[in-house]
Amino acid sequence: MPATQRLFHDLAPPDARAEVAPARALARPEDMLRPPLPAAAAVASVAAGPAELLWQALRERAPAHLMALASLLGIVLFWHLATTYKLDFYIRFTNIPTPTEVLAKIVEVNASPKFIKNVGMSLRRIFIGFAIATVLGVTLGMLIGRYRLTRNLLFPAMEVFRPIPAIAWVPISIMLWPDNEVSIVFITFIGAFFPILLNTISGVQAVDDVLLRASQCLGARERQIMWYVVLPGAAPQIFTGLAVGMGVAWVSLIAAEMISGQFGIGYFTWEAYSLISYPEIVLGMITIGILGLMCSGLIRFVGKALMPWLAYGSRAGSMR
Amino acid sequence: MSAAAPKGHVQIKDVSVRFGSKGRMTEAASRVSLEVKPGEFVSIIGPSGCGKSTLLNIVAGFIKPSEGKALLDGRPIGGPGADRGVVFQQYSLFPWMTVRKNVEFGLKMKGLGQNQREAAARSLLGMAGLLAFENHYPDQLSGGMKQRVGIVRALATSPQVMLMDEPFGALDSQTRTVMQEILTNMWQQLQLSVLFITHDIEEAIFLSEKVYVMTARPGRIKAEIPIPLPRPRTPEMTASPTFQALVRQLKALIREESLAAMGGELSSGGLQGIDHQFSHDGMNALI
Repeated sequence: MPATQRLFHDLAPPDARAEVAPARALARPEDMLRPPLPAAAAVASVAAGPAELLWQALRERAPAHLMALASLLGIVLFWHLATTYKLDFYIRFTNIPTPTEVLAKIVEVNASPKFIKNVGMSLRRIFIGFAIATVLGVTLGMLIGRYRLTRNLLFPAMEVFRPIPAIAWVPISIMLWPDNEVSIVFITFIGAFFPILLNTISGVQAVDDVLLRASQCLGARERQIMWYVVLPGAAPQIFTGLAVGMGVAWVSLIAAEMISGQFGIGYFTWEAYSLISYPEIVLGMITIGILGLMCSGLIRFVGKALMPWLAYGSRAGSMR
Repeated sequence: MSAAAPKGHVQIKDVSVRFGSKGRMTEAASRVSLEVKPGEFVSIIGPSGCGKSTLLNIVAGFIKPSEGKALLDGRPIGGPGADRGVVFQQYSLFPWMTVRKNVEFGLKMKGLGQNQREAAARSLLGMAGLLAFENHYPDQLSGGMKQRVGIVRALATSPQVMLMDEPFGALDSQTRTVMQEILTNMWQQLQLSVLFITHDIEEAIFLSEKVYVMTARPGRIKAEIPIPLPRPRTPEMTASPTFQALVRQLKALIREESLAAMGGELSSGGLQGIDHQFSHDGMNALI
């Protein structure tokens, strides 16, 4: 029993073993006692078929997925029990809709195009505000991060505005812009802008000096250095900024829609509260969560696609 | 790289470099003069902190001398440029570019089209035995391969001078020996001027026509040693009497300087109480 078991736990890959085995058989007495190894058996024991690989992947990942599923189901179960039995223990579930009521609402709201229109409006505001924040944030961030002149000129002003939360801009924004739509986009922009700006600045400043010198020695001029060295060098941190910015943009958007909006998923949720349509509140919340998740997933996906080199580096996994 | 007009003549004349503001000024190099003739392989060797790298940075155009002149083919060096290829001690490949894109970079800055760049980069990578890795990212390569790509990248723009700042310092000794052979072969094929910084005595002798020994800070040129070994250089030569004599000669020179550099620290109490014999042996091991 030990001899055969040891054989199958040997490390050598199948073809190496076939070559090495005879030589080793002469080397040590205990090895001489081993039966000659049938090649097919060796291959079968080491090379895994597709089915085996799938099983292996399942075995590795399934526990994590199962646990995630279990905690989600646990929350829904608690929600179900608390609402069905009207739990009232300081925290009150008396007016909270049950999961089934919310589920029924999903079918109901999708009967008319109003709900989808609300979602579409919110997404449009996010994308316009976020796109402007990305272009301005990255451009200004690169200028501030690299040049002392722009840093001294612009950074103090940015620092003054930065601590003001986007929501605090709502009244001014309504006065500032000709219509409501623009002012909501502006609030979204403000939310996304500062995380993107600050991360770009620190990404630019963290670009390894030896890479800048190397590019100069290879004949790169300032503009080329910015485009081919500083931008990709700062890219991982820019994407961190984009991910954070996207989160803040959603917070700002929903707040702005709730306060001053017409249409939009934040408006939908707040209107449901005013109209005492409780299932719609929860539906709005879940929708906001899913949209936010999709948007940050999109940024991660684009980041991975644009920065394939990160999969290999010491910083591999920083974009997870 | 036509043989008719040999270029890549580096001259450093009476150069001094001082860092810092008045009052707290440190002098990195003091009245240094040296020369790399067209097609010559020259090494600078000296104790750490003697300003070897400072001299290289002057030729590269990153630092301006406080006094004196730095000339390339008779013209003062104004700033960094593609006529001087630089290989750095740290890995300096762009992590976001594949090996081939790294090599193409200098040509791209010159404005060459994609097809020309690709052809040139591929032929250079082929010469260096790296073609199989053209689509790898730097982080997928070993240290020795990274430095080879770094050398190939610096060569791609056909510079007249190669400036190498302890390029093999981070490599293990096996890889280092192989890299030295590769470099000496490359240099013979390409016939360009090389200014090579190292603190490894045998490396300097093996590669160079001429070795400058620098003093401890502030760095001055202490000696200029010609290396009369024939070309092509082979690993077997390192065992020859000539080679060994040169090693002994340089070791003695460097040793004086290292002792001088450490002397201040030793006498000021750093190693007080330690047996003299011990510190002496310790120093021998360091040198």
